[in-house]
Amino acid sequence: MLGEFEYLLLTAAARLGEDAYGAAIRQEIESATKRSCSIGALYTTLDRLEAKGFVKTWMGDPTPQRGGRPKRMVRVTAKGSQAASAFYKAVVQVSRGVSWETSRIAVRT
Amino acid sequence: MNRIWWWLVEITSQALEPHERDAVCGDLAESGETAGVALRAMLGLVARRQAALWKDWRPWAVLILLTLPLGILLSVAARITTSLSATYGWLYVNNWDWALLRYAEFWYELRDSLAFVFVGCFSLACWSWTAGFVLGSVSRRLILANGVLFCLTLFLGGLLAAPGYLAYVFQDVPSPNSSNPVAALAVYRNVVPLILQVALAAAPFIWAMRKGADSRRLPALLRTLVWAAAIVTLLGVVIRDPGSGFWPGTYRHPAFWHILRRASQFIVCWPAVYLISDAIGHRWRRMHA
Repeated sequence: MLGEFEYLLLTAAARLGEDAYGAAIRQEIESATKRSCSIGALYTTLDRLEAKGFVKTWMGDPTPQRGGRPKRMVRVTAKGSQAASAFYKAVVQVSRGVSWETSRIAVRT
Repeated sequence: MNRIWWWLVEITSQALEPHERDAVCGDLAESGETAGVALRAMLGLVARRQAALWKDWRPWAVLILLTLPLGILLSVAARITTSLSATYGWLYVNNWDWALLRYAEFWYELRDSLAFVFVGCFSLACWSWTAGFVLGSVSRRLILANGVLFCLTLFLGGLLAAPGYLAYVFQDVPSPNSSNPVAALAVYRNVVPLILQVALAAAPFIWAMRKGADSRRLPALLRTLVWAAAIVTLLGVVIRDPGSGFWPGTYRHPAFWHILRRASQFIVCWPAVYLISDAIGHRWRRMHA
């Protein structure tokens, strides 16, 4: 089972697709959660996810706007997608009928 | 000020693996973080990385078997050497008389004193360099943590003797140093030994840790020689005063210990030989590149 931050990271990486790398994932998480995301948490979680086989990372090409430093590119694996999907289903399942879920639906309709 | 913060970020990032350092520094540059935020982010990542390494048993083994014993050993050795140097400094500074320069005996005495202090300081620097090299070689990824722990042990090692001194304070009895004119002056008792401890023990240790971490690139034969020299040097710290300190009872085999001490006195110079050969090799490679 994934942790909350692991799920956020996987989802952000999946959304970014080919453009998923450290800084972009961090920005995506920060804009979605409206909370700051520390680089330490991001990179250690990325390593953990890679060790579990949920993501694959490699070093990209250096770019001038990064001071000639390469990016650490990220791709979500099939195993990672399954884990994220299972986590999402569990969250939806466990949230069914609770006050904030029903009020959210009411607001929508 | 900003430059200093970015320099600190760069220094802190040295504790990361090269590929991760590049990726993180690039992320910080791209997101346009201020130097303060960048430093906090870098410190956070380095702290997490260092903490994660301690989940393994090996760093604990290195800490218990190498870092702490070497720190305490060198703390004692540094205290003895720096106190002796401070005493010689006091002898000349506090009893200075220009008329002394006219006497040949003064110059003989000065030469012997300088040689004695130099050999002591040089040996201490070599011991510390060797300790740093060994620790850097065996725990490449833990250089930062081991460096901090070693320096803490080095400087706080003297506190192990503190309970003994507390007795003199609470029981109001004269301390053994109360009649010592050198120890009565804070400059010679604390300031000079502290400066020498930083210059001759901490600085060579930190420098050598970096060299030790790179030692994996050395050819196998050279690495074996370096390790043999390092082991004999560290043994030299332990046996430098057999029978009265670290090895009680060694007076039973004086000849053996005498030979070992003599050998270690020569081998202790190996860091100087290593650094000179390293510099020559570097220059030669650059010229032929």
